[in-house]
Amino acid sequence: MQRREFLKLMGIVSGGAVLSSCGEDPHKKLISHVVPREGEVPGMAALYPSTCTECGAGCGIWVRVRERNPFKLEGMPGHPINDGALCIRGQASLSRLLHPDRITAPRRRTNTGDYQDVSWEQAMADVEQALSESGGRQVYLAGRTTGSLAALIDEFCRTRSFDRAPEVERFNHEAIRFAGDALFGRKSVPQYHLAEADVLVSLGADLLETFVSPVNFARQFAAALEKEQRWYHLEPHFSLTGNRASRRLVIRPDSEPYLLAWLLRAVPARRDLPAAVAAAVPAVTAEAAARQTGLPVTVIEELRDALRASSNPLLLAGGVALAGNNGRLTAVLAALLQWSLDMVGRTVDYERHENYETVGGAADFAGLVDALSDKQIGVLLISRLYHLDHVPSLRDALCGARFRVGLTDFMYPPYDGCDVILPLSHSLESWDDVEPRHGVISLIKPVFRPLHDTLSEGDILLQMMNNGLNYRTYLARRWGTIGRELLDQGWVIRDTEETTPTLQAGAPPPVITIQEPPADKTLVVVPSLRTFDGRSRVLTLLHEIPDPIATITYGNWVTLSVADADTLGITDGQELDIRTSGAGLRLPVKTHPQLAAGRVMVHTDQLDGLALPRDASSGEPLGILPIDSWQATGTRIDVPILSGSFTGAVGRGILPHDKPHHGPAHGGDDHATEHPPATLYPPKEYSRYRWALAIDLDRCIGCSACVAACYIENNVAIVGPDEHRIGREMAWLRIEPHLSRDGRMFFIPVMCQHCENAPCEAVCPVYATYHGSEGLNQQVYNRCVGTRYCANNCPYKVRRFNWFDHEWPSPLNLMLNPDVSVRPKGVMEKCTFCIQRIRQGKDHAKDQGRQVKDGEFTTACAQSCPTGAITFGNLLDRSSRIYALAQSPRAYRLLEGIGTEPAVYYLSKKRENA
Amino acid sequence: MKRYLPLILVAYFIGCLLLILVLARQWQDTGQAPEQPIAFSHPIHAGNLGLECTYCHQTVARSPQATVPPVSLCMECHKNAAIDRPEVQKLRGFWERQEPIHWQRVYQLPWHAVFNHKRHIKAGVDCSFCHGELKAQARVRQVRSLMMGWCVSCHRSRNAPTDCWTCHK
Repeated sequence: MQRREFLKLMGIVSGGAVLSSCGEDPHKKLISHVVPREGEVPGMAALYPSTCTECGAGCGIWVRVRERNPFKLEGMPGHPINDGALCIRGQASLSRLLHPDRITAPRRRTNTGDYQDVSWEQAMADVEQALSESGGRQVYLAGRTTGSLAALIDEFCRTRSFDRAPEVERFNHEAIRFAGDALFGRKSVPQYHLAEADVLVSLGADLLETFVSPVNFARQFAAALEKEQRWYHLEPHFSLTGNRASRRLVIRPDSEPYLLAWLLRAVPARRDLPAAVAAAVPAVTAEAAARQTGLPVTVIEELRDALRASSNPLLLAGGVALAGNNGRLTAVLAALLQWSLDMVGRTVDYERHENYETVGGAADFAGLVDALSDKQIGVLLISRLYHLDHVPSLRDALCGARFRVGLTDFMYPPYDGCDVILPLSHSLESWDDVEPRHGVISLIKPVFRPLHDTLSEGDILLQMMNNGLNYRTYLARRWGTIGRELLDQGWVIRDTEETTPTLQAGAPPPVITIQEPPADKTLVVVPSLRTFDGRSRVLTLLHEIPDPIATITYGNWVTLSVADADTLGITDGQELDIRTSGAGLRLPVKTHPQLAAGRVMVHTDQLDGLALPRDASSGEPLGILPIDSWQATGTRIDVPILSGSFTGAVGRGILPHDKPHHGPAHGGDDHATEHPPATLYPPKEYSRYRWALAIDLDRCIGCSACVAACYIENNVAIVGPDEHRIGREMAWLRIEPHLSRDGRMFFIPVMCQHCENAPCEAVCPVYATYHGSEGLNQQVYNRCVGTRYCANNCPYKVRRFNWFDHEWPSPLNLMLNPDVSVRPKGVMEKCTFCIQRIRQGKDHAKDQGRQVKDGEFTTACAQSCPTGAITFGNLLDRSSRIYALAQSPRAYRLLEGIGTEPAVYYLSKKRENA
Repeated sequence: MKRYLPLILVAYFIGCLLLILVLARQWQDTGQAPEQPIAFSHPIHAGNLGLECTYCHQTVARSPQATVPPVSLCMECHKNAAIDRPEVQKLRGFWERQEPIHWQRVYQLPWHAVFNHKRHIKAGVDCSFCHGELKAQARVRQVRSLMMGWCVSCHRSRNAPTDCWTCHK
């Protein structure tokens, strides 16, 4: 090509580019209100109280709303369940409201099996017609329901002659409720007062992850840290909960009854057991208990001594400890211990129990399954079901109903083939209340007009009852005198008429024979921190955040011990074929250094509908399965794994007391003393503020709530699995699991360290990254030209580059934080210490003519943390919490030896065994 | 041909200049002073009637946004006042339909910048410093460039913060 031609061509191309950039409408609109909403100031976030409904725990939330769009959920301070914190799933649940795949209008199934949108009148008319014509029984089958809606469903079932089936919940704590029923006549899950116990022994229950009310337990854990509680956690696998206990004891799966039976006899009873009951407890010697559980005798004796010496102990069993063949027995023995050591009424609270009475066990559905199979059911109404894989008989029998009506927000598997689908509003679009714990009522209040043509379940039922009420008025009547307080405060605690039960003297001693636990390799099926029982799988954000244990983002996997992986000769990502009794599984593996040999861990929702064998006595699916055989298939699957975790960081100055040393050739001296930090730049001076963050590793449980909060607060893009595989995730904050030299596991949240001598600042050719007057390392997006020098020079690897323009598919774009920009492609980005919150905090303080007070505002990560591990503040304020923490002897900074002087202080753990 | 060359060149440049002027005028009309759904007159309301700016832009001193008034506020007067005027009838149409008014934004910042009205009002910056004399603007137009240099020069002279993240988001 000639030079002239080239230039001409370039001219045409650049001219075209200029013209094409003019096409956009240059004017945004300023849209007026018709009538302003009281108390709302445009441009300022308003907070509305409500309750999170992502799981049944019932955490109180504040919904941050700007220009009538909810854009962030935060835990409600003072709420009896969660007191200000919110978990990863709760944070992400906002994207359920705005999910592009939500059902937007009522649907009717056509003859071809497809669905067509219809009007509400039409859909309701169809339902009414089916009710009058179909004949047979009518059944209402719903997920766990508490509060006013539960009462309304009862009323509805009475007036419209529906039979109410037991409620469906994957993790129904059947064994705990069985034990409560058998011993105390209370078929409920007690509330556990973790924080009040001086010795806590937990068996299997993943208290800090998914068990009953995890945020509540995490807050109690933080409170217990202050009082030096001794916490033993016994589990066959590895969990975040076990990792945070003072002592994690790895126990042989399903062998808990041996230990508990021994403890029942070995620890002196504080309350007498009836002779019949005492006699029924199997006699187990210390040696037998130790042999069966795989724990040394000294360890189980330590447990005995701790319980004996304790003035207010708590022992509880849950989760995987009750998921084996011995599940019910373990629960009964644990409950007997709770009675004999006088925990009932003190740390085990049946007065304010968790509301699980109406939830059904797998066996409770037998009648419904028979009726469905015999075609006795005319109309079946199903509501809020996510999957029925744990009751496959019911799942397969659903189509036996003549007419099925589904109430849901997404087309989950149980809704396949429903004749009419009635779309439900999200809880942020409806009035309601929940009562997750007996007497604790939490308000659900709409902050958003229904985005689609949807109704709340209450309104649908009231329409079908045809009594002219809407659900809002129904609730107001029901609330009566507590209504005012509920609306003002967001929650109310009612008096309880329940009493502390006593051991039922006439209770027949349950059959106590211990079944032989699996001897060899075991598959342990556990709920997932990110998706619980699978219900949160629709939320894409949760796939974007790595599972803190496996550090995998997208896809399914099994976790394998390092020893077994060596024996099998496989590495991360290679597929393993596992055969258990009646079930086969093929998934890529991820090794974990803390998992005991012979244990394979898999999440419930990663089984993809695999039918699990069931417990002979309760009919519940088992979570402890003996593995008959396993073998590598030879296939390699590219799973996105967070790089550098576990052992990659030892000796690099990331873990506490882990400063780099010179090798023996140099006398093995401390690197930092040999080369004292030096800088070429003059020291920086700050006049009013020097923002800093402190992260207490003693409190960090690795729950990743902060990561989700950061994503949502800062409009961090979701990039999908393909980008993850090539290491292009956009997280500003990540949780890095590391194993120290002495085998302890640390979860280290890493974000931009806002270094005093930031290596990124010196290499930016265009001054797009810049040291601010308050110590922040500022990234100016529109100045950035995308050289990526800064990311290459950052020793903490916290800078993220936008390789593409990222999209928030409508209506997800409504949850973008208006105070934070959406970064275009070609731009570097990173943690800002939530500059928008700093700006607002300073603005507020300036209005009152003062400096920002300590604790007046905080970053999104610190706000969401259930254990209060993250503290944000001004280092120049000598009275601030951050100043005290930065001066603490436990404080250290990452890679201190390289002289970057970060503004993020990490506090090493204080407990010796933690 | 060679004799006319200077003439052609001069004509070419004058032509270009005219084109630029026409385009600039056009841009001024459509870009800097866009046509609004209702031809609201600041000269009448702020000038003749002497209403304070904050009578309508109520949140300017307590929020980052000055905000356009809600339709209900307009209707407080226009229930009775000047109801025969065609523009007021347009307004009443919006009210009857309970429909928000989509005003064309005149002053807009780029995506990467934040601006807080409250801070500037509290610092004693008069509205007209940035928005010009509204009493004289029959149709509101942008009178300041809103370029970074313009912001920074004022920030410097008034000793206001010039940290990047004061304004960049």
